[in-house]
Amino acid sequence: MKKTLALILAAILALSLCACSGGAAQTSGESGTQAEASAGKYAGQTLHFYNPGEYVGENILSDFEKKFGCRVVMDTFESNEQMYIKIANGDVYDVIDPSDYMIERCKQEGLLQPLDKSKIPNLSELEPGVLAAMDFDPSQEYAVPYFWGTVGLIYDKTVVDEADLKAEGFGILKDQKYKGNIYLYDSERDMMMVALKYLGYSMNTESEKELNEAYDFLHEIVTTMDPEIVTDEIIDAMAQGRKAIGIMYSGDAVYAMSENENMGFYMPETGTNVWIDCMVIPKNAENVELAHEFINYVCSYEGALDNSRTVGYTSPNVKVAKEMAETDYEGIDAYVPRTDNPNDETFHYSEAGRKIMADLWSRVKIAAANQ
Amino acid sequence: MLLLPVLLLVFYAFTNSGNGLISFRFTLQHFAKFFTDPDFVSVLGRSLGIAVKTTILCVLLGYPVAYFIAGSDERTRNVLVLAITLPMWINMLVRTYAWIGILSKGGFVSKIIGLFGKPDVEILYTEAAVLIGMVYNFLPFMILEINTSLCKMDRALLEAGNDLGANAVQRFTRITLPLSIPGVVSGISLVFLPAVSSFFIPKLLGGAQYFLIGNIIENQFITVGEWNFGSAISMIMALIMMGSMYLVRRFEKVVSGGKEDRR
Amino acid sequence: MKKQKRPVGKAFMILSIVFFYLPIFFVVLFSFNSSKSLTTFKGFSLQWYEKLFKNRDMMESLWTTVLVAVIATVVSTVTGTMAAIGLSRSRKLVRDLTLQVNDFPVMNPEIVTAIGLMLFFITFGIERGLLTMILAHIAFCIPYVILSVMPKIRTMDPNLIDAAMDLGCTPWQALTKVVVPDIKPGIVSGALIAFTMSFDDFVISYFVTGPGVKNLSIMVYSMTKRINPTVNAVSTLVVVFITIALVIINIVPVIRERKLKKEKERTKI
Repeated sequence: MKKTLALILAAILALSLCACSGGAAQTSGESGTQAEASAGKYAGQTLHFYNPGEYVGENILSDFEKKFGCRVVMDTFESNEQMYIKIANGDVYDVIDPSDYMIERCKQEGLLQPLDKSKIPNLSELEPGVLAAMDFDPSQEYAVPYFWGTVGLIYDKTVVDEADLKAEGFGILKDQKYKGNIYLYDSERDMMMVALKYLGYSMNTESEKELNEAYDFLHEIVTTMDPEIVTDEIIDAMAQGRKAIGIMYSGDAVYAMSENENMGFYMPETGTNVWIDCMVIPKNAENVELAHEFINYVCSYEGALDNSRTVGYTSPNVKVAKEMAETDYEGIDAYVPRTDNPNDETFHYSEAGRKIMADLWSRVKIAAANQ
Repeated sequence: MLLLPVLLLVFYAFTNSGNGLISFRFTLQHFAKFFTDPDFVSVLGRSLGIAVKTTILCVLLGYPVAYFIAGSDERTRNVLVLAITLPMWINMLVRTYAWIGILSKGGFVSKIIGLFGKPDVEILYTEAAVLIGMVYNFLPFMILEINTSLCKMDRALLEAGNDLGANAVQRFTRITLPLSIPGVVSGISLVFLPAVSSFFIPKLLGGAQYFLIGNIIENQFITVGEWNFGSAISMIMALIMMGSMYLVRRFEKVVSGGKEDRR
Repeated sequence: MKKQKRPVGKAFMILSIVFFYLPIFFVVLFSFNSSKSLTTFKGFSLQWYEKLFKNRDMMESLWTTVLVAVIATVVSTVTGTMAAIGLSRSRKLVRDLTLQVNDFPVMNPEIVTAIGLMLFFITFGIERGLLTMILAHIAFCIPYVILSVMPKIRTMDPNLIDAAMDLGCTPWQALTKVVVPDIKPGIVSGALIAFTMSFDDFVISYFVTGPGVKNLSIMVYSMTKRINPTVNAVSTLVVVFITIALVIINIVPVIRERKLKKEKERTKI
């Protein structure tokens, strides 16, 4: 028995040795070829980038690799909350790309490190209006915008009467005319925002009464309207015109509208969410220098252009935003976010608010599932 | 290495906050939270329900197929077993993904149904889709298990039955069926257990509004971050499953006359 | 059972074969589609394969899957076999207890094992990545190896080892020359099960992986939200790879047998 144990131990040891050497051989082999291509000062370094899914340009990562002789490894997340848990549990990334309220949270909890702005000269190419709207980090001490936009209703112009949209706003989601013909987006914040804005409240409210009213609104939709609750499946589904109305981010609407000319995008007068997704560097990042280089590159004209052209979201780079609005996305109003409605807001982080919203939305979903 | 993770999970399930081992408090609140909330209990009920449906379908579909395979000559049998095994080697996620195109609007199934005059049916993101996905993934296990037990059966018994004047139906119900029960039982455990806890089949084919207990657990760990609560749910699920397997085994013993057949 | 025409059984058989292969057929078909649709075939094209081979993440995930599966198979087969041999020679109480524990991960829902392992790695501050994925795979493969080796050891004649030692074998020789050849079928099937389990795994990998390490399942999972025929292309590659491997595994022994027969016949002549 003792011998068996010793053998087992030896086997495990042998395994860990070969696992380590295997991994090392793999990375050194691949970075070796790249180092030959351009012997920059980042040769052999790997940038770990954590980004939402389907949120990056076709060529930007490989272009960056070629230019700086490094490697970029990107992982994707489905939600800010999922990203937070990974970061809070010590997974190491060099650059992450969360939304406004989540940056506020990470900042509060000391998970981020301050940026060295002298290493991000391209910051000056970004839209001053967007930078000014960053009330979660007013002087870009920690965060640099990646994309920004709004949330609204995408609708099939051949089915939905625009007068209904104007009259009802988000309330169109409970208009029996469109029963069985709507998509909801599976995100507690976005859906609570829709409900609160429809009711004329602030989406950052902590009033129990207002939140419960919002819950009732959503509950009524899922019990009477037979909606389908989806995440990113909605993008291709609306591009193919599967349903009449859906809740969608402006950038995804741009894609759907460019694929299907019958689609329109509407933001209710009662207000909506104006969001800004930003790049930040976590405290435990390994290649801080390279991370700054990457953020700077994403802000540059060529980086931002590739990103915005592929994904369809609005670039914070002034030149790129103007060019895209005049070329690829000409005539697609969703590409230019609304900035002149006083009812529009940005999310702020509060622990209590997060828990209540998560809880209410999961109840709405269970009600939908039990239909 | 095998036991420690499970013990840790149990530890998390009974303690409160603080992801460290140093500061913890013993509590039963997570279990209380689960059972006092009708919503959670209803999801648990639905998970068990769909797992039972999957299992029944697998037995009903799998038994005739296994019976047919076992009755073929050896060469055909080997080929058929290989044909059933082959898809199992392909990544489960890939196999589940394969159904998305078939079940979506305008896909193969909706075109077939369209031929019968009901156009544009979308099965994707309904319970039926989840059920199809589960049966598809787990049916081969059932067929193989039943087939093995049928092949192990002594053919002389059937001849003896025949000689003693039993007709085909009697031979099946009195001899073949009872002798294949162990195969059915191990098939059931191979289908029922993964069906209860599966979380990517409902996620891929059922959409966001269709979720099972596995999805709640995944959600607690991946997005909500309430690990203690998530551990408690996992434990509840594991216990329910072990309990039901124990019952099935007992049933097997009763049916096969107390003879224990432990492989 | 006498040979008889069984139309009902045959119908079930054909239906189930169609059921099993239809999705695979569609995945392969639409990997050659010239449009992005998964429902209508517009024309033949290889664009998704082109995209696939350009997609480094995808190619790397294939590599990770194979690497993890190979290491996990080798290690878990060796360890599992050793453990089974060791157990067969230990006291009954120890053996029964260990086998009970061994049954745990097999009977437990996968997600519970996955979460247990994740909590284990996090609690003990082990950085998650390739190493944790390999360790986790070894951990969940070992029980299956033990389960398939154990019955073979039970049926082995225990006197064989003593006889070998009496004839002057060292314990190591007794192990490699007597025990292992005798239980080889069990070891091979254990290794095959381990390889499939690891190659197929999604749930456990999903929970224990770390930054930058993705296997095929995780990759496919992250890509299913949007219509993306690249997934079909990579799936087709897997289908082709698996089919070839299985055909080889099933045909090689047949060919070898035939060769042996021929040689025997030749020596007879």
